[in-house]
Amino acid sequence: MLPLSAKDDEYKPAKLNLLAKTSGWFRAILSDQTSRNLFFFLLLNLSFAFVELSYGIWSNSLGLISDSFHMFFDCTALLAGLAASVISRWRCNDSFSYGYVRAEVLAGFVNGLFLIFTAFFIFSEGVERALEPPDVHHDRLLPVSVAGLLVNLVGIFVFQHGGHGHSHGDDGGHGHSHSLFNGSANHKDSHTDSHGGHGHSHGGHGHSHGGHGHSHQDQHSHQDQALYSQGVFLHIVADTLGSVGVIISALLMQKYDLMIADPICSMLISLLIGVSVVPLLRESIGILMQRTPPTLDHALPECYQRVQQLQGVYNIQEPHFWTLCTDVYVGTLKLLVAPDADARWIQTQTHNIFTQVGVRQLYVQIDIAAM
Amino acid sequence: MACEPNRVRLLCMLSLTFGFFIVEVVVSRITSSLAMLSDSFHMLSDVIALLVALVAVRFAEKTQATNKNTFGWIRAEVMGALVNAVFLTALCFTIILEAIERFTEPNEIDSPYIVIGVGAAGLLVNLLGLCLFHGHAGGGHGHSHGGGGGGHGHSHGSGGHSHGKKKTGQICKSEKPNSSSSETNTLVVVDHNSPNGVNSENRGYDFSKDGTELQTNGSPLYDDVDHSSAAQLNMRGVFLHVLGDALGSVIVVVNALIFTFVWQPCLPDEACLNPCINSHSTDHQHVNQTLVGLTDPGAYRMAGPCWVLYMDPTLCIMMVLILLYTTYPLLKESALILLQTVPKQIDMHQLNEKLLCLEGVLAIHELHIWQLAGSRIIATAHIKCHDPTAYMDVAKRIKDFFHDEGIHATTIQPEFVTFSSDSRDSLCELSCRTQCAPKLCCGSADKAAEKKAASEADDGLREVSPATLEVISEDPEQAAALPLVVTPEPAAAPREAESFL
Repeated sequence: MLPLSAKDDEYKPAKLNLLAKTSGWFRAILSDQTSRNLFFFLLLNLSFAFVELSYGIWSNSLGLISDSFHMFFDCTALLAGLAASVISRWRCNDSFSYGYVRAEVLAGFVNGLFLIFTAFFIFSEGVERALEPPDVHHDRLLPVSVAGLLVNLVGIFVFQHGGHGHSHGDDGGHGHSHSLFNGSANHKDSHTDSHGGHGHSHGGHGHSHGGHGHSHQDQHSHQDQALYSQGVFLHIVADTLGSVGVIISALLMQKYDLMIADPICSMLISLLIGVSVVPLLRESIGILMQRTPPTLDHALPECYQRVQQLQGVYNIQEPHFWTLCTDVYVGTLKLLVAPDADARWIQTQTHNIFTQVGVRQLYVQIDIAAM
Repeated sequence: MACEPNRVRLLCMLSLTFGFFIVEVVVSRITSSLAMLSDSFHMLSDVIALLVALVAVRFAEKTQATNKNTFGWIRAEVMGALVNAVFLTALCFTIILEAIERFTEPNEIDSPYIVIGVGAAGLLVNLLGLCLFHGHAGGGHGHSHGGGGGGHGHSHGSGGHSHGKKKTGQICKSEKPNSSSSETNTLVVVDHNSPNGVNSENRGYDFSKDGTELQTNGSPLYDDVDHSSAAQLNMRGVFLHVLGDALGSVIVVVNALIFTFVWQPCLPDEACLNPCINSHSTDHQHVNQTLVGLTDPGAYRMAGPCWVLYMDPTLCIMMVLILLYTTYPLLKESALILLQTVPKQIDMHQLNEKLLCLEGVLAIHELHIWQLAGSRIIATAHIKCHDPTAYMDVAKRIKDFFHDEGIHATTIQPEFVTFSSDSRDSLCELSCRTQCAPKLCCGSADKAAEKKAASEADDGLREVSPATLEVISEDPEQAAALPLVVTPEPAAAPREAESFL
């Protein structure tokens, strides 16, 4: 007999409906405030980069071309942030029992690393240029710096307000400012400089900051939100200062022919970037290392005391509390209880105690002591 | 400490590389070659990679729990591996950028002999590093960029190719004594990213597990094992760097050699034309750039074959591709660990089914399994069972089951069957509040459970003990009502206790 039932769904191969998937992603991005801002900022940066690239090719300026490459590099960081904001919303499955929520923390961390790398790179370029100052063409420097500054200011405005967006984390680099290009020409010699043409400080190389994504929900402790949005803001401010620095150095070079101003600006800017990344790195490293959540540091000993005072509890063993993602805390605990204790009651009470401090996922193992 | 040899090796390589960096900086100042200076910065970045690995190893040695880091610092090595992998990727991008620039504007090497010399020295350092680290899950640096004079600049890189994934880390493991005991469980520690390499960790470890050990997870025995397997991840990152450098210095030397023997340069006092370098760089040091002033067009010769100048960037791009190909698995693996993925060797479905088959286990909820680092896997679950007396036996069985699977740090929360809940076997007793439901896995099941629990909480309040559990899952208003309900509880407890005893 032929099988009559038609559970055809089981046998259909998974269709790669790319269009449906991408439109799904777009919807996810646009639905949320911060990721929307990030997306538009990314588009802005990308378009600026393309404009610079085409201008560089048309005017045959290697410096402009290389600078546009650097901007593309920064855009990848923004992209990482966007990807994280989409990925962290996916449902959990067999391989990811907690879901993908950690993606935002990871993206923030990776962005912070990229930023540090960029800062290091710019610093090294600055040193090279300081030791052997190349000639810089000023004429293209100023207009591009001003354009970069404008883009930065847009970023400040947007992320100052959008920062508190409750969006789910994009811990992506956002706010970026983009690189300011500059001048160029130095293909004169040292090809190495041509990366730069930077004859300058990589112009506030838009760095993608490590985004902090404030991801988390509205009723959450604004404490965390403040940290994240503060981080984004700090980065954008650093980039703006970078653009301002480039403009100043360009002016100095034009008026007073002070070639040394450029590398010094580069180095200062790279130091600024490095310093501003540290808080972001510290926090994301703490989360990734399964550290006890800093906000619970003071509350936990008190909770332990309260649990030990419950009737029947002898001891608390192996408490582990860690952050899954922003404001989601997970904890495991083992209680040694008397044989005649009411296990259920102890469990309920324990859950209650810890829920009050904000740990909602708690696993309490009850070990009954042998008499 | 178990992984002391790793640290010593890292220190050695670090000092060698740093020394080489200083040498390159000095040589670049003497020959005033900017390319060598930029190359030395590349080397500095490799020094940083080694430093990161070293820091990770130092941290990970502190595996005891501290107040803030209750799991110890064992994750530091995974982080070190990730940092190295990200760093390598960023470096690859930089090299691609430079190579593209070099394509549009080829440059001759100014002093090829110096380049060959420095390149060869760097290659020696690299090979030394490879030898040192080869048997110990990679690591080590050494570079050699030798970027001398003009032209090159970098091309360094970390090549990486299948650096024989023989991560053995034998030394660390051999120091671990195996305590034999009555009950032996084999720990299958799989280094799941060495498909072709020797799985040095597939050894059996004996652990004694009996009732008293139920409470101790993460004994010092585990720490060494995990440390070494996590160390492998870290060392792999560093090893990739070294190999890349070795490949880079090979490219440098090869390029310089070809340049010396094939290229016919224009001598300064000769009238000749260099067709390969276009008019972009009008201020280039070499003479003969411009055609101005040449009176006799037929008397000058052309500078050497142009393809020689394009070899450098081509080889660089090849190297970058190889490097990216080998870095990607490392990146993926460390990222997956940090994302709290279920380890690859564990099949959740199967585990679930096997757990359900155990005697006394009625249901399992919220099973989470994740990897802390290396072979240290942690699992948490809610298990529903009949009553507290049966519970301790069930708990032992469950622990043994997990140990057989290779998971030694487990926390099992018991949920006891309530009188009214026979029909709701699949729902959580102590489920989360509504806010975290969308963030959790018991996702849709919990939402249904909460609705049901909400409707039954009212019934529950009338019953004394079992239903108070459901009150927890409600919103804050009802949680506030809890204290009122709880007080009858202890009174009921002795009554229950009697029935169980």
